[in-house]
Amino acid sequence: MISSYQLNNIKVHRNEQCVLDIPQLTLPAHKCIALLGDNGAGKSTLLDVLAFTSQPSEGEVLLADQKTAFPLSSRQRRTIGYVSQHPFLLSGTVTDNIQLALKLQGIDRQHRPELTQQALNLVNLNHLAKQAANTLSGGELKRAAIARAIAYQPDILLLDEPFSHLDQNHIQQLERIIEKLAQQPGKTVIFSTHNRLQGLALADTTINLVAGKTTSAPLLNLFHGRLHDHIFDTGRLEIHTTSELGNARHIAIDPLEIIISTHELQSSMRNHFMGRLTLIAEEANTVRLTIDCGERFHAIISPESLLSLNLTLGDNIWLSFKSTAVTVF
Amino acid sequence: MTYFIDSLLAAMALVTHFDSDIYQIVATSVSISLIAALIAASLAIPAGITMAQHQFSGKQFIQHLLNTLMAMPTVVIGLLLYGLFSRLGPLGNLGLLYTPTAMVIAEAILIFPIMMNLTITAVTSADPRLIPTLLSLGANPYSLFIQIVKQTRFAILAAIITGFGRAIGEVGAAMMLGGNIEGFTRTMTTAIALETSKGDFELGLALGILLLLIAFIINFLLSWLQRSPS
Repeated sequence: MISSYQLNNIKVHRNEQCVLDIPQLTLPAHKCIALLGDNGAGKSTLLDVLAFTSQPSEGEVLLADQKTAFPLSSRQRRTIGYVSQHPFLLSGTVTDNIQLALKLQGIDRQHRPELTQQALNLVNLNHLAKQAANTLSGGELKRAAIARAIAYQPDILLLDEPFSHLDQNHIQQLERIIEKLAQQPGKTVIFSTHNRLQGLALADTTINLVAGKTTSAPLLNLFHGRLHDHIFDTGRLEIHTTSELGNARHIAIDPLEIIISTHELQSSMRNHFMGRLTLIAEEANTVRLTIDCGERFHAIISPESLLSLNLTLGDNIWLSFKSTAVTVF
Repeated sequence: MTYFIDSLLAAMALVTHFDSDIYQIVATSVSISLIAALIAASLAIPAGITMAQHQFSGKQFIQHLLNTLMAMPTVVIGLLLYGLFSRLGPLGNLGLLYTPTAMVIAEAILIFPIMMNLTITAVTSADPRLIPTLLSLGANPYSLFIQIVKQTRFAILAAIITGFGRAIGEVGAAMMLGGNIEGFTRTMTTAIALETSKGDFELGLALGILLLLIAFIINFLLSWLQRSPS
């Protein structure tokens, strides 16, 4: 499998704190990849490393299976397009910004108008080509920044929280643009989002980040606390695990592994909590329940189960799961 | 009071009748200050942008040094350069003393810290996303420099104008290194000092009016640039 990036022993320190710690990570090429995680999970730091706009404190990054140096060579730089969370457009028009990117990438003057047009077409921004950059709305600005990043046709496009601070209409527009970009042959799109559902819907692959570390655990039912004697204390609940990781600070429970019942079950499962049903939501042919047991749990059940249990909002219900369903990290 | 009003009217007449002696002095002043400003700018702007971009040990010390040099009395610069350029000094064989070149050197040294400090402020007060954006778009060190100058051009122009204003109004170093030689190194400020001491108050006043006019134009340009979007 061809990889777009291979990260080995990457660490990023800020103010003497390790904010990113990735022993090994391979990001496949020609895929749409979502980096998922809460605010402060390290998504932007990781994207900065992938964009080579900041140098990791330790470790090496292979780009398309080739060694890299910091700053990146102009040939390798041309393979990456990067749009930060709060993109900055330089003074001038949208076209000026795109043409500047082409100029900085060393593209011949005669090819620039055609490439500018192609980029504007891809993000549906032709009508604003001559508009001053400082008069664009939030959504238009993000699309203009994407046009600038894709104008020189990089193999990899990195987007940091592309949907943040946008209204629903602009989010939908941008989702369609990302899908269109990801479908282009030979292109890799890597974007970060704190919206798990959005990430799962758009991406072929997802990478979960928690406290600067990648994890295969689902990010629903993610709790922080301390592990002692197989019991993880979140400060509000004690959850049984099978782990002996002494320095573990996080656990995650797969929502599909949680059993919902209207009364306490007598079973081999070690974790039973009663809580109040606070949300019932339809999600991709399943039903997601949110139950407040002191900590907020998410469980996924079938629509048939919802009917047979006859659940309504505000009901007190029981949730149970095995200690082996708890991922500790 | 009559003396002052009569002198003022006579000075106005000298200015409005385009007295050749006066405009010769003005031309010397402007050309020396302009060349000094251009030389200082060509060094201070790259130095200021480089310093603003990078973090290194000793940066704080350089910043303090620049602040100190900004407040350095002009006669001290004149004195040091006089020592270097006088016949017995290490650069005496260059024969620069009492030449416009010596005055340009002195004024360039005088305004270099002002321009560099203002350039540092211009770059550090620009949008913090500017440099990362340019780097992510593939800017090499040269194109990065050009684009930073372009994006902060109004603030950098203001730095150049401020430096020029300081140079044209300077008297101490100009007097010590230029020697106030008529038609050669006589500038507006040195002429005002000399003519007033000689009792030619009208000529001094006429030059003062022109100096004020230049100061007004400089300030007008500065405030216009500050209003412009950077």
